[in-house]
Amino acid sequence: MMKRNLENIVGKVWKFGSNIDTDQIIQGRYLMMLDYSEMAKHTLKIQRPDFASNVQKNDIVVAGKNFGGGSSREEAPKVLEVLGVGCVIAESFARIFFRNSFNVGLPSLIVPDITEQVEDGETLIVNLSKGTVKKDNGTILQAAPLPPLMMDIVSAGGAIPWFKQRLVGQ
Amino acid sequence: MGATLAEKILATHTTDGKATAGEIVEANVDFVMVHEVLGSRIMPILDEMGVDKVWDPKRILVVNDHWAPAPNIQSAEIHQRNRDFVRKHGITHFCDVNCGICHQVMADWGLARPGELIVGCDSHTCSYGAFNAFSTGLAATDTAIILATGSNWFRVPESRRFEISGELPDFVMSKDLILRIVTDLGSDGATYESLEFHGPTIDSMTVPSRMTMCNMSVEAGAKTAIMTLNESATSWLNAKSAMSTWTPMEPDRDAGYVETHRYDLDSDPLGPIVSAPNSPANGKAVEEVEGIEIDQAFIGSCTNGRLEDIEIAARILKGKNVAQGVRLILTPASMETYLSAVRAGFIETLITSGAVVTNPTCGACVGGHLGILGPDEVAISSTNRNFRGRMGHPESLVYLASPATVAASALKGVITDPRSVA
Repeated sequence: MMKRNLENIVGKVWKFGSNIDTDQIIQGRYLMMLDYSEMAKHTLKIQRPDFASNVQKNDIVVAGKNFGGGSSREEAPKVLEVLGVGCVIAESFARIFFRNSFNVGLPSLIVPDITEQVEDGETLIVNLSKGTVKKDNGTILQAAPLPPLMMDIVSAGGAIPWFKQRLVGQ
Repeated sequence: MGATLAEKILATHTTDGKATAGEIVEANVDFVMVHEVLGSRIMPILDEMGVDKVWDPKRILVVNDHWAPAPNIQSAEIHQRNRDFVRKHGITHFCDVNCGICHQVMADWGLARPGELIVGCDSHTCSYGAFNAFSTGLAATDTAIILATGSNWFRVPESRRFEISGELPDFVMSKDLILRIVTDLGSDGATYESLEFHGPTIDSMTVPSRMTMCNMSVEAGAKTAIMTLNESATSWLNAKSAMSTWTPMEPDRDAGYVETHRYDLDSDPLGPIVSAPNSPANGKAVEEVEGIEIDQAFIGSCTNGRLEDIEIAARILKGKNVAQGVRLILTPASMETYLSAVRAGFIETLITSGAVVTNPTCGACVGGHLGILGPDEVAISSTNRNFRGRMGHPESLVYLASPATVAASALKGVITDPRSVA
């Protein structure tokens, strides 16, 4: 796991609707795969079969309300992270997905009306430290502030390096 | 302001004895439950963390339940890893492929107790609120941290209170009540919250019915669901728990809630509810979906695979046959449940009526095995989720209902009101 670029995430939008549950992100039948890069080939397959093969590094997943509802599976944010997704911006997140995404080093931002503000395929510039999302036309959208703990975890590159840092700190 | 059940239980687990809604606290957990996710995801994370010793082998349950017995080589390998882990770390509580679904095993073995903070690497861990525990699902990395240290950070949830009075009519079950509540809340209506279920209806409920309600609370986004201890939960614990004392928790009279919802089932009677695809929060009165043809009827899972669920199915199907062209699959929640159902004659009744009875496993509910749906197939299921593709092909459809509605539908071959076949 690499330390994340948090100041300047530049990527193309892949736009989804509301209630993209964990089975849409990665279906239960792939969970027994031990190799994440194999599993990641099936990411968001039901919703957009071309996603896994065409997503580029730092691309941004944009979604409506309740992104990642359902299962506790950490595989959901992990396959997005493995594919190089820069961050997820949604109108709201399910609890476990939100926590998991930071744990695996994938930042998640809440922008209440993001699906009305951005188009599929447009390029966004995200500054996680400031919580800003800049559109092509210069418009700046403000994300809900992240709890400092979540920023610490994602800055460390995820919960594993964060945990190791804390052990050293003690 | 006084404390809610969630605040009270969490406060007894923090170092400073405090926990107020909205705060992030470090808390010590009492017990951890893991299933195949241990072998597939947690063990590599523990290796990466450099952890070679678990915090307390007596406070961990390891279960091989999702793909049990292994339907393929990958799951067989995950089971092997779990067995090796149990041996290496001397884990006290281990349930291999022969004892059931993790949440039912927690109940069967009396491992979920009042006032405890229990974490499971599974979203339906919130089921143990039926025993007055604060139980919540986390995923692999957070669980690895707890296996290593016995603690983790928690955001103290706001609480939403339910006052439920009145009786559930015959053939209307706690599943119908929780599908109604989840539909009223919406699939994200309780995100991050603790649901507190109170009132005479909850106080007089059986343990299986209470577990169903707490179990499904996550389908509205809740972090946990908690009930006060009642008589049936007390006798259950007395019969099953190795511990003889525990500290039940009650909320303070002046505790603060986001909202209080009242349901009076006497003045506003509840009928069977069916949640149509693709959301558990898409509940409809059974009358609205009656007559929809089905290919499969499934009774099982941590939500509704318990003895009273099998009993009501047997009552509906006794001396009758499952409709032609329909598969009725019964997957008991645990081996203990299965054995009790055999002894009570329910299994014979159901097999005679045409049902397929499988071993206890998460199986079909998670789209794993033993009842996967093909393209364009329609199922009615007593499970917890009807997301697109959850139980198999993305073009299959799942209607969620109570075991009574599932059994009645299996009998008629179409979605059917169980009250009409009684």
